[in-house]
Amino acid sequence: MTAFLRFHDLTKSYYEGDMQRVVLQNAHAEFQSGEITAILGKSGSGKSTLLNLISGIDAPDSGQIWVEGRDLTTLSERDRTLFRRAQIGFVFQFFNLIPTLTVGENISLPLELNRISRPQVHKKAREMLDNVGLLDRWETFPEKLSGGEQQRVALARALVHDPLLILADEPTGNLDEETGAQMMTLLAHLTREQNGTLLIVTHSLEAASHADRILRLSHGQLIEER
Amino acid sequence: MLSLRTLLRHPIQFVIMTLGIALGVAVMVGIDLANASAARAFDLSTSAITGRATHAIVAGDQGVDESLYVRLRTDSQWRDTLESAPLVIAHTISPQLGGVPFTLLGIDPFAEAPFRSYLNPGQETPLESITSLLTVPGSILLSASTAQRYGLQPCAQRPVALDDACHLMLSINGETRDAYLIGLLEPADDFSRRALDTLILTDISTAQYFSGTRGKLTQIDLILPDNFDSKVLSKALPPGTLLVTSEIRNSQVAEMTAAFQTNLTALSLLALLVGIFLIYNAMTFSVVQRRSLFGTLRCIGYTREQVFVMVLGEAALVGALGAMLGLGLGILLGQGAVRMVTQTINDLYFVVNVLGIQLPASSLLKGALAGFFASVFAAAPPAWEAASVLPRLALSRAGLESKTQWVVNRVAVLGVFAALIGAVILTIPTRDLIISFTGTFAVVIGLAALTPLVTVTLMRFVGEPFGKLFGLLGRLAPRNVIRSQSRTAVAVAALMIAVSVTIGVQVMIASFRTTVTIWLDQTMRGDIYISAQGLSATRLDMPLDPRVITLANSQPMIQSSIGIRVVTVESEHGPVELLATSPERPIDARLFLKEQGNPQQAWQMVREGAVLLSEPLANRLGISTPGGLLVLLTPEGWHSFPIAGIYADYASTRGTVRMSLDVYQHLWSDEQLNGLVLFLAPRADIDTITADLRAQLTDFPAIQVNPSGALRQDALVVFDRTFAITTAMQLVTTLVAFIGVLSSLLALQLEKAREIGILRALGLNLAEMRRLTLWETGLLGASAGLLALPTGYILAWILIFVINQRSFGWTLQMQVDPASFIQAFLLSVGAALLAALYPAWRLSRMQAAEALRGE
Repeated sequence: MTAFLRFHDLTKSYYEGDMQRVVLQNAHAEFQSGEITAILGKSGSGKSTLLNLISGIDAPDSGQIWVEGRDLTTLSERDRTLFRRAQIGFVFQFFNLIPTLTVGENISLPLELNRISRPQVHKKAREMLDNVGLLDRWETFPEKLSGGEQQRVALARALVHDPLLILADEPTGNLDEETGAQMMTLLAHLTREQNGTLLIVTHSLEAASHADRILRLSHGQLIEER
Repeated sequence: MLSLRTLLRHPIQFVIMTLGIALGVAVMVGIDLANASAARAFDLSTSAITGRATHAIVAGDQGVDESLYVRLRTDSQWRDTLESAPLVIAHTISPQLGGVPFTLLGIDPFAEAPFRSYLNPGQETPLESITSLLTVPGSILLSASTAQRYGLQPCAQRPVALDDACHLMLSINGETRDAYLIGLLEPADDFSRRALDTLILTDISTAQYFSGTRGKLTQIDLILPDNFDSKVLSKALPPGTLLVTSEIRNSQVAEMTAAFQTNLTALSLLALLVGIFLIYNAMTFSVVQRRSLFGTLRCIGYTREQVFVMVLGEAALVGALGAMLGLGLGILLGQGAVRMVTQTINDLYFVVNVLGIQLPASSLLKGALAGFFASVFAAAPPAWEAASVLPRLALSRAGLESKTQWVVNRVAVLGVFAALIGAVILTIPTRDLIISFTGTFAVVIGLAALTPLVTVTLMRFVGEPFGKLFGLLGRLAPRNVIRSQSRTAVAVAALMIAVSVTIGVQVMIASFRTTVTIWLDQTMRGDIYISAQGLSATRLDMPLDPRVITLANSQPMIQSSIGIRVVTVESEHGPVELLATSPERPIDARLFLKEQGNPQQAWQMVREGAVLLSEPLANRLGISTPGGLLVLLTPEGWHSFPIAGIYADYASTRGTVRMSLDVYQHLWSDEQLNGLVLFLAPRADIDTITADLRAQLTDFPAIQVNPSGALRQDALVVFDRTFAITTAMQLVTTLVAFIGVLSSLLALQLEKAREIGILRALGLNLAEMRRLTLWETGLLGASAGLLALPTGYILAWILIFVINQRSFGWTLQMQVDPASFIQAFLLSVGAALLAALYPAWRLSRMQAAEALRGE
């Protein structure tokens, strides 16, 4: 079976002053469609960098990344953006909702960026908000929501445009244990419902327990853990 | 240390803040130096002339008969009780002296010692030079430094050799005279040296010959003892002469330019005000950016006072650096400004030659202190804000923004209050420009305080339609603008001020220009104007040779002519300019502002001996209606003239008395004319006759023959030259505001980095991000521009009907050209968009990954 997402010989380093710090060193991995994968690793091990490379936000020093057979590393910055816009949903640790937009508008954002018709945007965004249990908060601004509620809105925003790939960067990192667990259950449930592929980077074993497989990022390499 | 590191960590912010204050200080210092240099040059020339004289006997332009001096020197009643010295003063230019105006001073060397020290023999000047001055015709003295500057050598002595090496051609009253430099003055002290920089000294009879005033003196200087009763002398003086105190005399002349210089100072302060806004804005942002840092500092034991002092310290550092830089820039700016200021003073007021820019310590100190304290003052509110942060409880964004909304409303209320106070101040009936400008500043600042409210209201208004029209970006942009008020409001207010000043000044200048153009059309109804070229562009200060008048009047196609005589005469209120014209052609009825009866009746009164006052003179003398009397000194003594009317006149800010030439010639026994206006026969060709006249007048090189159209053009050239400096300063103010907006946008982008990262992660491409930035800044510019329209209109109204009236006494017709308002609005949006280009460019270099990593 051809992997939905795979990368090969992926290397990425940063300069900290004059010092070069290698974050990923010839890393490679494959992910099947519909699979939920957790990537564990210490702080600074390069987990977020990996997600940025997969989403095309950042470019690797070397190596290739294929998503559904397309090599992202050969795409221009603009094409990577368009790819991300259509195919990827993001969930961040700090929710990162746009403060000037209402909950409804935040969720509509990916649909509008993808030029979906206005009635469709409205319909799909409401459905998704209903799925995360916050339909009554459509007109509310993010600053009026609790942390858990904000992350649920972020989740709805990540899934609303039916992305093939959902990338979650420490999605429970800023939530209490109970809310975090609820959030992971919801994320896994909605991803499976949409038959999406989910990559979660986390250092929470509880969060990782929702995954089909677990990888560990250590010394720039991904190691199969489960 | 923490402050220094903060500044160094944000170098662009630091540079922009410093540059903002530097530009403000530079404009202030530049104008101050220009004003001070012109004032100093004037002081030096008056001090050089006045010396230690306490009083002077004057008689207007007719001059004092020199027999009076002889009487003072020989009559025992005066000889032993007072010191006296004759003076003949004229202005001249010479190609050997760089073609710039010099003052020719004719003196009696034997009478000089008590008055002016630089001629004291044996002390500073060689005795043989003074002897030559009396014995060699056409001999003159210059200061050694002036001679050195122009590479002049004195003629050889023993025997005196009058050769080309020491020969100068002096152009005086339209005539060219041969002069010989027979000696150099070497003043002992610096003051005298500078006083002599633009002075040519000669013997009294040479000066009389040079200036064509034989038998006449410009004045007789006197030193009266303390217990001397000046009334006794006044009574003993012949009719037509007047005893005046030197101090009052000099101050009357100096006051002429006071309004002009105050106006320039006010404009320069405006640039500094915009600079203050900029500092406030940058410091506020810097505090907002570091709220959590201040919370932490407070937590680890910093007191409120320490945090307050820390932020003020940063501002002080910026202020000190900005002020230093501003002083340097100001000196450079002063070099250019002094030329413009001197030009205007020469055009409109009196002859002054500023050889170099003066750097008075007071100007530099004033600029440095203004820059420094403006920075500290502007930073005080944000510093207090920083000190008020609770330990570890840095306000949440929501809290901060809701607080901003509260501040927006509060500031708007205070703004309305300030504007009302300003309006009340402006209604105070005074000619004091400080009060008037205080009122104007209060109105402008008050309206500027409405900027945040207007911005927020406008954004709420456009939010919905923008969202519908432009989708996501259209919805985001206005909301981001509202949200960024705490960072951008002050910069937008500064931009609003700059744009409103642009509108105000443009409308004022356009109104002025239109008024002057209409006035020129109404005034200059002749076909050809003949005058002698003087040193001023606007005053007829040279007499016409009678042969020129005869020749002009004898031309076949000339239907009629009007003679013009312009002289300075003494009045009860000091010297005034008198304009006498042939009464055959009355002035245009539309020029009358107020008159006795109707314009025809008023002109009939003028023919019978009454006078008309120009509006500035009527204002200066506090005369609001005709009907009273104006007392002028004629050769026969004081004479009262009925005032028949007040008329519009923009030729002089000093004001003019207008009377019939017949009346003037009768009372002053003066047949000379300064100008001749020719009216041609129908179908006569103006250009041909002008060319003919010029050809026939080649023997009179100083005579100018101009068709009225050309003269009108010349008048407008002088007009535009007068306002060149105003426009230049207005541009600097806009530049400072532009820098303010740029700094705000950069700072804003810095703070929004994470939001930008999120949007990029969600799929907004770079072009869309750039568009969003441009939308936001365009809206900020539009808000500033929109409020600038009414503010600019109000400012124009104040400038025209309050400041101009009180400064120069002119009533202008307000001309509102919608184009200048549209231009100003576009300028506002354009400046904001231009300021956004760099941030937008930086945006394209900003990696979303970096922004997100910033978490």
